[in-house]
Amino acid sequence: MSSAAQPSAAAKTSNARVSLSPCTLNNLGTVRKLNSVLFPIRYAERFYKDILLPEAEHYCQLLYYNDIPVGTVCCRIENDAASGASKLYIMTMGVLAPYRGLGLGARCLTQVLEAASAATKPRIKSIYLHVQVSNEHARGFYEHHGFKVSHLFENYYKKIEPRDAWVLEREVDAPPAST
Amino acid sequence: MRQNWIALAVACHLGRNFDQADKVLTSYVATLKNVPDYDFEYSEVLLYHVRVLEESGKHEAALTKLDAHSKSREIVDRVAIGETRARLLAKLGRTEEALDAYNALVDRNPGRVEYIKDLAKLKGVDIDALTDETVPLALEVLDELEKRVPKGSAPTRLALSAAQGDEFAARARRYIESGLKRGVPSLFADIKPLYADDAKRKAVESIVASFHDAVAPTASPPGEPSTYLWTLYFLAQHHSKLGDQSRALELLDVALTHTPTLPELYTLRARVLRRAGAPHEAAMSADRARLLDGQDRFLNGKAAKYFFNAGRIQDAENRLGMFTKKDAPSPGADLEDLQSTAYLLQAGAAFEREGKLGHALRKFIGIVKVFEDVEDDQYDFHGYVLRRFTVNVYSDFIAYEDRVRQHPAYIAAALAASRIYLRLHDEPGLATKLVAPPAESEAEKKARKKAKKDAAKEKKDSTKAGGEEEETQQQPSKYDDPEGAKLLATATPLDEAAKILRPLEKLVDRADVWAVFYDVAVRRQKYLQAVKALNRLARLDKEDPLLHVRLLDLRKRVSGTEVSDVVRTSLAALFPQDVASEVFTSQYLQRHSSSPRAVTAVARAASSLTEAEELLFGLFKPEVSLDIKTAREALALLTERKSTRRDEFAAACDDRFVLSTVFKSVEEQRRLVKLDEAAMEDLPATDEVAEK
Repeated sequence: MSSAAQPSAAAKTSNARVSLSPCTLNNLGTVRKLNSVLFPIRYAERFYKDILLPEAEHYCQLLYYNDIPVGTVCCRIENDAASGASKLYIMTMGVLAPYRGLGLGARCLTQVLEAASAATKPRIKSIYLHVQVSNEHARGFYEHHGFKVSHLFENYYKKIEPRDAWVLEREVDAPPAST
Repeated sequence: MRQNWIALAVACHLGRNFDQADKVLTSYVATLKNVPDYDFEYSEVLLYHVRVLEESGKHEAALTKLDAHSKSREIVDRVAIGETRARLLAKLGRTEEALDAYNALVDRNPGRVEYIKDLAKLKGVDIDALTDETVPLALEVLDELEKRVPKGSAPTRLALSAAQGDEFAARARRYIESGLKRGVPSLFADIKPLYADDAKRKAVESIVASFHDAVAPTASPPGEPSTYLWTLYFLAQHHSKLGDQSRALELLDVALTHTPTLPELYTLRARVLRRAGAPHEAAMSADRARLLDGQDRFLNGKAAKYFFNAGRIQDAENRLGMFTKKDAPSPGADLEDLQSTAYLLQAGAAFEREGKLGHALRKFIGIVKVFEDVEDDQYDFHGYVLRRFTVNVYSDFIAYEDRVRQHPAYIAAALAASRIYLRLHDEPGLATKLVAPPAESEAEKKARKKAKKDAAKEKKDSTKAGGEEEETQQQPSKYDDPEGAKLLATATPLDEAAKILRPLEKLVDRADVWAVFYDVAVRRQKYLQAVKALNRLARLDKEDPLLHVRLLDLRKRVSGTEVSDVVRTSLAALFPQDVASEVFTSQYLQRHSSSPRAVTAVARAASSLTEAEELLFGLFKPEVSLDIKTAREALALLTERKSTRRDEFAAACDDRFVLSTVFKSVEEQRRLVKLDEAAMEDLPATDEVAEK
């Protein structure tokens, strides 16, 4: 699910304060509110439990624009027992309509990518997500950030049309060499 | 030893024997040897000495002392040195030096309005009492300061109070637009006092309206989205303040569609709805704000306040309990421990509306107790202060303690408690009726027994499961009488009320206080006090309905009774003896036929129900600007007197106040609340999201 990166008429403005901070039990109401207006799906309680897991802290964030919460990104870590490597799955990422086109979605994604490449326990090998096939903008946005369509997932969505989704994926850069 | 010296000096000072205090301090300081550097206690004593000299009028001596000891670094409190020095120089007429001193103070703290006002006074302008002649000079002074401390907003804001006309518009535009761009949430609260001036209000409205158009998403180039949001927020507050709640709600709807995550929008929506007479909907909105940030105790307190206001006492307490100590007997007990007068007032008012006068009285008396505690606690400070040598703040503190009951919470609690005591006096059977449980029907009895059994069983289960929840049931003695039964049982309600009101007599001059003061005094047959209260009322406003009905009341009470001539002549001065009560009232009504407050007050005093009804239905005449508060009072009056036209009145109010729900029937209100709760779209959902 993604509703970021739609270009809006809003002018690029400088000197706005942009910051991210982790989702917590206390601001969960804000996450719920954002999800309810950003996405056509109602998320289950499990979703809200997962984003509070300590290991997900860097990947589940609220985005503040001039101190107002206007966006969110929530990922989950998927461990593949067979290969021992982990993947990051972007469950949701979105920015409220009036705040699009200000580079905020990119800011969220950069944060997640940086956190993923710095992670060691577990190492994150790649990041992937689903995009509804009708959402050309989102697909363009992720491709611009180095994601590639790996395959088409038919009948991914059960309750919304169109039901098919692209699966986009990208490798995570190796962590910067540390001493 | 040292303590005794200081105690003696303080005693002389408080007794206004300045020379003696001066002597004591001089000889005390002379006894000190080997004072370490930067000794705070010594510094305080020296400052205190300067203060004594200043208060005795020896400004020159005070300044010399201050300068000598600050140069030698014996006085270490830099702020106190600066302030005292500036003040003394001003008093001595050494203007140039005083100006330098004040400029230094402003540099240090540009936000402090007192410095700026004192500085302006030195330049010959009294900012609090400006005239057409002094305005240009005031602006000149303030502009100079603004240049000097560009970061401080105090001079800029003070200039808005001073400036007029186009000058005002230009300055206000700069100030407001900068506030909206920076997203200052309190901007409207800051600007609101200017609305006392109609021209300024209009200017502000047009400034913000045109700014709104300039930053709207449809403008080109479109504005910063957060600036647009704060502009909507400001405009909504503006229209709500001017009474146009529908317009405010429209603006808030736009804002909430734009950005549904800003808590301020929901709390403002709650206030607008409350003003529009929809307390339940208001509570839901405040609760939505709370859900956005569970960590925010301010939002939590707001939600509780609005629940109290809607009469949902349990819901309010549940919210408050999220922040109170878990081992407290109840959230309310903890908040009372913390001396939260806001909680006690809100809860008391909610219980009062529900007719639970005992509970209500208990809360209001809780506030009175808070102030008694504050007063008693000052005795603990005497010893402490003398030990720690903090005698300067002590002097301020003593003065503060004399005025402590001026606090709005004390006034509100004293009035509310007194009104309940008055009702207990006027209706002798009321107390017993309130305390005795209402007769239960057979079905209710069964239900109660069953509930008790279930509860006992549950408790057993939970203890078995490993619970240690038992002791919470017993309440410690401090919180006994939670239902206020003991308070209600008083044999002398009027004396209780008089005791609470007495401190206000010399501290407060407010119509509502004098009115209740009269009500208590006259029932205690203290006619001189009663007449005094009426005279004070008349001095505040001769036409106040509170006064009119009490004049009628007093004449009725004193006719045929022995009262002193003073009482009779004083009454006659306000209510000429040769005018009949009916004539007096009809003349009054003629003068105030368009004032809903006056009409309602007269209706309350009317002896016949038909007459009262006729008056109250007159409130719907087009020339009367009926407000919700008075309409609710009028409806309460009809309910109280069991009028057959009550429902008719309620329906008319419901028509008149489109957004209100308080005039609807209880069932209808409940239905609306259910609907609203169902619309809480983002509550925990149960349907699973589609995933692989």
